[in-house]
Amino acid sequence: MIKCYLLDGKFQENTYDDFTTISESVNANRKKIYHLKLDVIIELLTKLGRKIITDGTINTVEGVGYITLWLRKDNLKKICRLNYLDQTYYEDFKETESKFELCAQPRGIVCHWVASNVPTLSFFSLIQSILSKNGSIVKAPEENIDIILTILKHLNEIEVEHDGMTYSGKDIVSSVSIVSFDGGNFTDSKNFSQVADCKIIWGGAEAISSVTALPQKEHCEIISFGPKYSFGVFDREFIESNYFEKALANTATDIAIFNQMACSSPQVLFFEKSRYSIQEIAQKMKSYFEELPEKYLKQYIPQGTASNIINIRGMYLLEDDKGILKSDDLSWTILIDSELRLEEPVQGKCIFIKEIDDIDDVLDLITRKIQAMTVCIINPDKRREFAKNATYRGVDRIVVPGKIHDFDLPWDGILPLNRLVRWVILKNGIGSE
Amino acid sequence: MTQEGNLDNNPDISLEDLIKLKQYSLTDDEKNKILLKIIKKQLVHAKNNNRHISNFFEKQNIDIGSITSIDDVPPLPIQMFKYFDLATCPKDQIVKILKSSGTTTNLPSKVPLNKNTTLNQVKALNSILSDYIGKKRRIFLVIDHEGINDPTLELSARTAGVRGLSIYSKKIHYLLKEENGKLILNLPVINELLDGYEDEEVYVFGFTYIIWSTFYEQIIKKNIRFKFKDVKIFHSGGWKKLVEQQVSKEFFSKEIAKIFGTDMKNVYDFYGMAEQNGIIFVDCEYANKHIPNFSQVIVRDIQTLKPCKINEPGIIEVMSILSDSYYSQAILTEDIGYLIGIDDCACGRKGRYFRFKSRVERAEIRGCGDTFREK
Repeated sequence: MIKCYLLDGKFQENTYDDFTTISESVNANRKKIYHLKLDVIIELLTKLGRKIITDGTINTVEGVGYITLWLRKDNLKKICRLNYLDQTYYEDFKETESKFELCAQPRGIVCHWVASNVPTLSFFSLIQSILSKNGSIVKAPEENIDIILTILKHLNEIEVEHDGMTYSGKDIVSSVSIVSFDGGNFTDSKNFSQVADCKIIWGGAEAISSVTALPQKEHCEIISFGPKYSFGVFDREFIESNYFEKALANTATDIAIFNQMACSSPQVLFFEKSRYSIQEIAQKMKSYFEELPEKYLKQYIPQGTASNIINIRGMYLLEDDKGILKSDDLSWTILIDSELRLEEPVQGKCIFIKEIDDIDDVLDLITRKIQAMTVCIINPDKRREFAKNATYRGVDRIVVPGKIHDFDLPWDGILPLNRLVRWVILKNGIGSE
Repeated sequence: MTQEGNLDNNPDISLEDLIKLKQYSLTDDEKNKILLKIIKKQLVHAKNNNRHISNFFEKQNIDIGSITSIDDVPPLPIQMFKYFDLATCPKDQIVKILKSSGTTTNLPSKVPLNKNTTLNQVKALNSILSDYIGKKRRIFLVIDHEGINDPTLELSARTAGVRGLSIYSKKIHYLLKEENGKLILNLPVINELLDGYEDEEVYVFGFTYIIWSTFYEQIIKKNIRFKFKDVKIFHSGGWKKLVEQQVSKEFFSKEIAKIFGTDMKNVYDFYGMAEQNGIIFVDCEYANKHIPNFSQVIVRDIQTLKPCKINEPGIIEVMSILSDSYYSQAILTEDIGYLIGIDDCACGRKGRYFRFKSRVERAEIRGCGDTFREK
């Protein structure tokens, strides 16, 4: 059984046995978004960003404030330029250096499988198919459905003036459907997959492989985000510089945002040997955890995560050559050792910190599963060289503390908008030369 | 023993006294005062005799002398028995390492026992059981197959129950047998029991799910009903599968009582664990689990780790003074429960009383954040 919360611009809860009605509606309405100029879509979204930040029912949800920043006009235009090279490809055929004209056409219906670890993930998934003028059916996690519905209700009410015409957010909203169904139900999952011209999947290894394996249209494009892991590294010069304290404070915030459940959440920090011992660094880190705002300090910890924190604390408390600093409650935990390895994520602000001889030692730990690394190296040439080596081995994003969760496109090494369109050509001339 | 003044005048109440004393006769306050004194001494012993335990206290800057409440005794996560040697007595004094098969990992818990701890555990269990079945030995009926009591097997919830409860038996009968990997009724034994045991006092133990899914199902089909002079039925183990089958505790007790020709108040669910051998928390007739004199239970909030208020669910911590061979003083389980009340259960037993709710949910790394390992 499929629960549908939004269809044909109507925010009503209905149930369906399959996706026929839903896909037909989205397919018919996607013409409306297709006929909107990209500049109009951007203006509508920018206005949406300004509106949601004033909505007290959602503006305290983790990540909603960031949506407003992300929806700034200059940011959206920059993203489109980077993904499409030239935004005008989306308006009409345009001449190229080759002997044809080039145009971007939407793929059709994008089906989104959204993980529940980040409350605003449905929005960031959906925005990509909006900016590529596709219709969308979003399988949103039930616990986060209210957030995406509230945002879309705001968009539904927005109007903008452009070149003397009035445009409404309704034309975007009508091309979107929000649904939920049991992912373990093969029939529903298969039916969902089969209406997709493109599948966007956010999830762990199991989710990605099972959704990828579902029957689908031959031309269906698959864009997978996850499963990924992130960590950080600091070189000696940086640790001994004036930048270090601020970087540690920002790192504490990076760990706290999404309570360390995002693919971009740092799980381990490596510190090159410096004039500060690893215990001193742990003490500094402790003070930054303690200074976190209440909303980050006292986040809800699921039972299983709490149990994992309790157990890893036990291990580090009993073991001879390991150190630990922790809060009296389960708010934060700093686990100290010198083993050169990545650690299984515990989540819930449980960070492993390790002293290493040389930052290059961590390069061998990098695999294609590493999404982001905060790389704190003072010397720009050394940092660039490290970045080249690290990204060659598999890292997708080299960032600085405080910026690890910025939703930059490319994400996970993918320019998604570019893959959400079909690149079509028009050869000129009535007869061949 | 219900006046605080009496306790203040008797500062040296020993474990032995607590075992001999009628169980559940101490108020919560009385017990806490007595236990704190004993536990503090035991903590010093544990810290001095195990480097891991010493680390455990040192790294948390805990000065044992400064502990003023049993709530402040640091609990050891139960999983640590899988990874560390937690013996607090010389190696040559260890007579047995109890190995308990785990449900969450493949690693067994290892619980080192010396003679003294083993003896304490036997005496303690005797003392608890006597409150429910009297002091006389009885015939023990096990709703399982004989192989479950193979001493070479690691301890599971099933074997622990059989071995633990057998201390009160004068003879053991196994009501099931294993045939081609399946459990079936042990009819020769059952027929013997049906004929000529009407005047016997018996007690029964089985794993809850096995009683229901195997024993009950087959015995109903054969329309067998037992008749004894007196029968007490103990069962333990998870309810998850029964809940899935929509079998309530009350229905279970009624049905099983019918099979044994007794009242459902003689069917006792209990909670226990290999790491706290010698202690079981048995349901009273009001379905509340009571805590014997030599033990205490703290339900801790899963976010703050502070003691929960009445009816607030949290992680069950079990404290015990039975062991000087390993750290039994405060063990944080992976079970969720809640306190129902203190000193005022309608059954008359004093002290805290609680209920078990569920196992802690296992963590799933959900979403796009995941392991670093490549498959």
